[in-house]
Amino acid sequence: MTMGYEIGQELPPVAGPRLRRLDIAYMAVAMDDPNEVHTEDDVARASGMPQVIAHGTFPLAYGGAAVTRQFGFGAVRRYGLRLTAPVFPGDELTTNLRVSEVEELEDGQRLELDVTVRKQDDTVVGRGSAQVVVS
Amino acid sequence: MVGTTTEARDDGEPVGVGHEFPATRFRIKATKVQEFLRAVGVEPSDGYIVEVGAPVPLGYLMYVVAYGAEPVHNALQMDMLKSVYGGAEYDLREPVHVGDEVEVRTRVSGATSKEGSSGRLTIYELTTEYVRPEDQAVLLVETSTTVERG
Repeated sequence: MTMGYEIGQELPPVAGPRLRRLDIAYMAVAMDDPNEVHTEDDVARASGMPQVIAHGTFPLAYGGAAVTRQFGFGAVRRYGLRLTAPVFPGDELTTNLRVSEVEELEDGQRLELDVTVRKQDDTVVGRGSAQVVVS
Repeated sequence: MVGTTTEARDDGEPVGVGHEFPATRFRIKATKVQEFLRAVGVEPSDGYIVEVGAPVPLGYLMYVVAYGAEPVHNALQMDMLKSVYGGAEYDLREPVHVGDEVEVRTRVSGATSKEGSSGRLTIYELTTEYVRPEDQAVLLVETSTTVERG
Protein backbone atom coordinates (compact mmCIF):
# COMPACT_ATOMS: atom_id res chain seq x y z
CA MET A 1 0.00 0.00 0.00
CA THR A 2 1.45 3.32 -1.03
CA MET A 3 1.83 6.08 1.53
CA GLY A 4 0.80 8.62 -1.11
CA TYR A 5 3.76 10.96 -0.87
CA GLU A 6 3.42 14.39 -2.48
CA ILE A 7 5.83 16.83 -4.08
CA GLY A 8 7.06 19.30 -1.50
CA GLN A 9 6.32 17.03 1.43
CA GLU A 10 8.77 17.41 4.27
CA LEU A 11 9.61 14.22 6.13
CA PRO A 12 10.45 14.01 9.84
CA PRO A 13 14.00 15.27 10.45
CA VAL A 14 16.58 12.93 11.90
CA ALA A 15 18.92 14.43 14.49
CA GLY A 16 22.29 12.95 15.31
CA PRO A 17 24.03 13.13 18.66
CA ARG A 18 26.52 15.83 19.58
CA LEU A 19 29.74 14.74 17.88
CA ARG A 20 32.57 13.93 20.23
CA ARG A 21 36.25 13.61 19.46
CA LEU A 22 35.86 10.02 20.54
CA ASP A 23 33.27 9.45 17.81
CA ILE A 24 35.68 10.84 15.23
CA ALA A 25 38.39 8.52 16.54
CA TYR A 26 35.96 5.61 16.30
CA MET A 27 35.31 6.54 12.68
CA ALA A 28 39.04 6.65 11.94
CA VAL A 29 39.28 3.10 13.24
CA ALA A 30 36.18 1.94 11.40
CA MET A 31 37.47 3.38 8.12
CA ASP A 32 41.11 2.36 8.70
CA ASP A 33 41.85 6.00 7.94
CA PRO A 34 45.40 7.06 8.83
CA ASN A 35 44.80 10.77 8.09
CA GLU A 36 45.65 12.58 11.32
CA VAL A 37 43.61 15.68 10.43
CA HIS A 38 40.84 13.71 12.10
CA THR A 39 42.69 12.89 15.29
CA GLU A 40 45.45 15.44 16.01
CA ASP A 41 44.81 19.16 16.45
CA ASP A 42 48.37 20.07 15.44
CA VAL A 43 48.05 18.20 12.17
CA ALA A 44 44.62 19.69 11.54
CA ARG A 45 45.96 23.20 12.13
CA ALA A 46 48.81 22.50 9.71
CA SER A 47 46.17 21.72 7.11
CA GLY A 48 44.38 25.01 7.74
CA MET A 49 41.63 23.79 10.06
CA PRO A 50 41.10 25.24 13.54
CA GLN A 51 40.97 21.76 15.09
CA VAL A 52 40.37 18.15 14.12
CA ILE A 53 37.61 17.67 11.58
CA ALA A 54 35.04 14.92 11.38
CA HIS A 55 35.12 12.51 8.47
CA GLY A 56 32.86 13.16 5.52
CA THR A 57 31.30 9.81 6.29
CA PHE A 58 29.41 11.40 9.21
CA PRO A 59 27.08 13.58 7.12
CA LEU A 60 27.00 10.83 4.48
CA ALA A 61 25.90 8.31 7.09
CA TYR A 62 23.37 10.64 8.72
CA GLY A 63 21.76 11.44 5.37
CA GLY A 64 21.68 7.76 4.48
CA ALA A 65 20.22 6.81 7.84
CA ALA A 66 17.47 9.39 7.41
CA VAL A 67 16.52 7.78 4.10
CA THR A 68 16.60 4.18 5.32
CA ARG A 69 14.82 5.03 8.58
CA GLN A 70 11.98 6.58 6.59
CA PHE A 71 11.70 4.13 3.71
CA GLY A 72 13.67 0.98 4.61
CA PHE A 73 16.81 -0.37 2.98
CA GLY A 74 15.03 -2.18 0.18
CA ALA A 75 13.44 1.00 -1.14
CA VAL A 76 16.65 2.87 -1.91
CA ARG A 77 17.79 2.93 -5.52
CA ARG A 78 20.24 5.82 -5.39
CA TYR A 79 21.69 8.07 -2.74
CA GLY A 80 24.31 10.77 -2.88
CA LEU A 81 25.59 13.67 -0.84
CA ARG A 82 28.02 16.47 -1.68
CA LEU A 83 29.86 17.84 1.30
CA THR A 84 29.75 21.61 1.59
CA ALA A 85 31.30 22.55 4.95
CA PRO A 86 33.57 20.94 7.55
CA VAL A 87 32.19 19.34 10.69
CA PHE A 88 33.94 19.69 14.02
CA PRO A 89 33.72 18.14 17.48
CA GLY A 90 30.70 19.53 19.29
CA ASP A 91 28.59 19.86 16.16
CA GLU A 92 25.13 18.37 16.05
CA LEU A 93 23.85 17.38 12.63
CA THR A 94 20.24 17.11 11.53
CA THR A 95 19.03 15.67 8.23
CA ASN A 96 15.97 16.90 6.41
CA LEU A 97 14.28 15.06 3.55
CA ARG A 98 11.93 16.72 1.10
CA VAL A 99 10.05 15.03 -1.72
CA SER A 100 11.03 16.78 -4.95
CA GLU A 101 9.49 14.48 -7.56
CA VAL A 102 6.84 11.79 -7.55
CA GLU A 103 6.27 9.22 -10.26
CA GLU A 104 3.19 7.09 -9.86
CA LEU A 105 3.85 3.41 -10.52
CA GLU A 106 1.40 0.58 -11.00
CA ASP A 107 2.06 -0.64 -7.50
CA GLY A 108 3.58 2.32 -5.70
CA GLN A 109 5.59 5.47 -6.20
CA ARG A 110 9.09 6.39 -7.25
CA LEU A 111 10.26 9.39 -5.25
CA GLU A 112 13.11 11.81 -5.71
CA LEU A 113 14.20 13.30 -2.42
CA ASP A 114 16.25 16.35 -1.57
CA VAL A 115 18.62 15.48 1.26
CA THR A 116 20.08 18.27 3.39
CA VAL A 117 22.34 17.87 6.41
CA ARG A 118 22.74 20.93 8.64
CA LYS A 119 24.66 21.90 11.74
CA GLN A 120 23.07 23.34 14.83
CA ASP A 121 23.71 26.88 13.49
CA ASP A 122 21.92 26.00 10.22
CA THR A 123 25.12 25.72 8.19
CA VAL A 124 24.55 23.20 5.42
CA VAL A 125 27.28 20.58 5.57
CA GLY A 126 25.85 18.20 3.00
CA ARG A 127 23.39 18.50 0.16
CA GLY A 128 22.26 15.70 -2.09
CA SER A 129 19.44 13.52 -3.27
CA ALA A 130 18.04 10.05 -3.13
CA GLN A 131 15.68 7.96 -5.19
CA VAL A 132 13.40 5.47 -3.49
CA VAL A 133 10.60 3.19 -4.64
CA VAL A 134 7.73 2.71 -2.22
CA SER A 135 4.80 0.36 -2.55
CA MET B 1 53.06 6.03 -7.23
CA VAL B 2 51.53 3.22 -9.19
CA GLY B 3 51.49 4.44 -12.72
CA THR B 4 49.10 7.37 -12.65
CA THR B 5 49.72 10.24 -15.01
CA THR B 6 50.38 13.25 -12.88
CA GLU B 7 52.47 15.53 -15.04
CA ALA B 8 49.54 17.33 -16.68
CA ARG B 9 48.02 19.58 -14.03
CA ASP B 10 46.80 22.51 -16.10
CA ASP B 11 43.36 23.91 -15.52
CA GLY B 12 40.71 21.45 -16.60
CA GLU B 13 43.24 18.85 -17.67
CA PRO B 14 42.56 15.29 -16.55
CA VAL B 15 45.05 13.95 -14.02
CA GLY B 16 45.43 10.20 -13.89
CA VAL B 17 42.02 9.58 -15.40
CA GLY B 18 41.54 5.96 -16.34
CA HIS B 19 43.94 4.58 -13.79
CA GLU B 20 42.56 1.36 -12.33
CA PHE B 21 43.53 0.16 -8.89
CA PRO B 22 44.10 -3.57 -8.58
CA ALA B 23 40.85 -5.39 -7.89
CA THR B 24 40.62 -6.70 -4.37
CA ARG B 25 38.19 -8.82 -2.43
CA PHE B 26 37.09 -8.25 1.10
CA ARG B 27 34.43 -9.53 3.41
CA ILE B 28 32.15 -6.99 5.06
CA LYS B 29 32.83 -7.77 8.69
CA ALA B 30 30.21 -7.22 11.35
CA THR B 31 32.84 -5.84 13.72
CA LYS B 32 33.79 -3.08 11.26
CA VAL B 33 30.18 -2.13 10.59
CA GLN B 34 29.64 -2.05 14.35
CA GLU B 35 32.59 0.33 14.71
CA PHE B 36 31.11 2.54 12.00
CA LEU B 37 27.71 2.69 13.71
CA ARG B 38 29.29 3.31 17.10
CA ALA B 39 30.94 6.38 15.60
CA VAL B 40 27.79 7.58 13.81
CA GLY B 41 25.46 7.10 16.76
CA VAL B 42 22.31 6.84 14.64
CA GLU B 43 20.63 3.54 13.79
CA PRO B 44 19.94 3.12 10.07
CA SER B 45 16.60 1.63 11.06
CA ASP B 46 14.82 1.15 14.36
CA GLY B 47 16.21 -1.87 16.16
CA TYR B 48 18.96 -2.43 13.60
CA ILE B 49 21.31 -5.20 14.68
CA VAL B 50 24.70 -5.72 13.08
CA GLU B 51 24.75 -9.38 12.16
CA VAL B 52 25.50 -11.50 9.12
CA GLY B 53 22.76 -10.92 6.59
CA ALA B 54 21.84 -7.43 7.80
CA PRO B 55 21.83 -4.72 5.12
CA VAL B 56 24.94 -2.57 5.07
CA PRO B 57 24.26 1.01 6.25
CA LEU B 58 24.49 3.69 3.58
CA GLY B 59 27.80 5.45 3.76
CA TYR B 60 29.72 2.52 5.15
CA LEU B 61 30.98 1.26 1.82
CA MET B 62 33.48 3.72 0.47
CA TYR B 63 36.81 3.39 -1.17
CA VAL B 64 38.81 3.74 2.02
CA VAL B 65 37.14 0.64 3.40
CA ALA B 66 38.74 -1.36 0.66
CA TYR B 67 41.98 0.47 0.16
CA GLY B 68 42.64 2.65 3.15
CA ALA B 69 42.99 6.38 2.62
CA GLU B 70 46.76 6.35 2.49
CA PRO B 71 47.31 4.02 -0.48
CA VAL B 72 44.77 5.95 -2.53
CA HIS B 73 46.37 9.25 -1.63
CA ASN B 74 49.79 7.86 -2.43
CA ALA B 75 48.67 6.53 -5.77
CA LEU B 76 47.25 9.89 -6.72
CA GLN B 77 50.23 11.72 -5.21
CA MET B 78 47.86 13.64 -3.00
CA ASP B 79 48.90 15.47 0.14
CA MET B 80 46.62 14.12 2.85
CA LEU B 81 46.93 17.36 4.80
CA LYS B 82 45.55 19.29 1.86
CA SER B 83 42.80 16.96 0.76
CA VAL B 84 39.23 16.52 1.88
CA TYR B 85 36.51 14.06 1.01
CA GLY B 86 33.98 15.77 -1.21
CA GLY B 87 31.10 13.32 -1.04
CA ALA B 88 29.76 10.32 -2.86
CA GLU B 89 26.87 8.96 -4.84
CA TYR B 90 25.68 5.37 -4.66
CA ASP B 91 23.80 3.54 -7.36
CA LEU B 92 22.31 0.61 -5.47
CA ARG B 93 21.53 -2.25 -7.84
CA GLU B 94 21.30 -5.23 -5.52
CA PRO B 95 21.37 -5.54 -1.73
CA VAL B 96 24.74 -5.75 0.01
CA HIS B 97 24.79 -7.49 3.36
CA VAL B 98 27.03 -7.79 6.36
CA GLY B 99 29.09 -10.95 5.88
CA ASP B 100 29.11 -10.71 2.08
CA GLU B 101 32.37 -11.06 0.23
CA VAL B 102 32.65 -8.45 -2.48
CA GLU B 103 35.16 -7.75 -5.20
CA VAL B 104 36.07 -4.09 -5.42
CA ARG B 105 37.20 -2.38 -8.58
CA THR B 106 38.15 1.27 -8.34
CA ARG B 107 39.25 3.55 -11.13
CA VAL B 108 40.04 7.24 -11.41
CA SER B 109 37.05 8.39 -13.41
CA GLY B 110 37.73 12.10 -13.37
CA ALA B 111 40.27 14.72 -12.38
CA THR B 112 40.11 18.44 -12.97
CA SER B 113 42.08 21.39 -11.68
CA LYS B 114 40.86 24.92 -11.29
CA GLU B 115 41.77 28.12 -9.51
CA GLY B 116 39.57 28.73 -6.48
CA SER B 117 39.38 31.70 -4.14
CA SER B 118 41.97 30.06 -1.90
CA GLY B 119 44.24 28.76 -4.65
CA ARG B 120 44.39 25.77 -6.91
CA LEU B 121 41.96 22.94 -6.38
CA THR B 122 42.23 19.50 -7.93
CA ILE B 123 39.09 17.42 -7.80
CA TYR B 124 39.52 13.69 -8.18
CA GLU B 125 36.59 11.44 -8.94
CA LEU B 126 36.83 7.76 -8.12
CA THR B 127 34.33 5.20 -9.35
CA THR B 128 34.15 1.95 -7.45
CA GLU B 129 32.18 -1.10 -8.44
CA TYR B 130 31.30 -3.58 -5.72
CA VAL B 131 30.89 -6.93 -7.47
CA ARG B 132 29.59 -10.30 -6.31
CA PRO B 133 32.49 -12.66 -7.02
CA GLU B 134 30.36 -15.68 -7.87
CA ASP B 135 28.64 -14.25 -10.92
CA GLN B 136 30.39 -10.87 -11.31
CA ALA B 137 27.10 -9.03 -10.84
CA VAL B 138 27.64 -5.37 -9.99
CA LEU B 139 25.83 -4.80 -6.72
CA LEU B 140 26.64 -1.18 -6.12
CA VAL B 141 28.47 1.62 -7.90
CA GLU B 142 30.03 4.35 -5.79
CA THR B 143 31.23 7.61 -7.29
CA SER B 144 33.19 9.70 -4.82
CA THR B 145 35.17 12.90 -4.99
CA THR B 146 38.23 14.07 -3.12
CA VAL B 147 39.43 17.65 -3.31
CA GLU B 148 43.10 18.59 -2.97
CA ARG B 149 44.16 22.18 -2.29
CA GLY B 150 47.38 23.61 -3.62
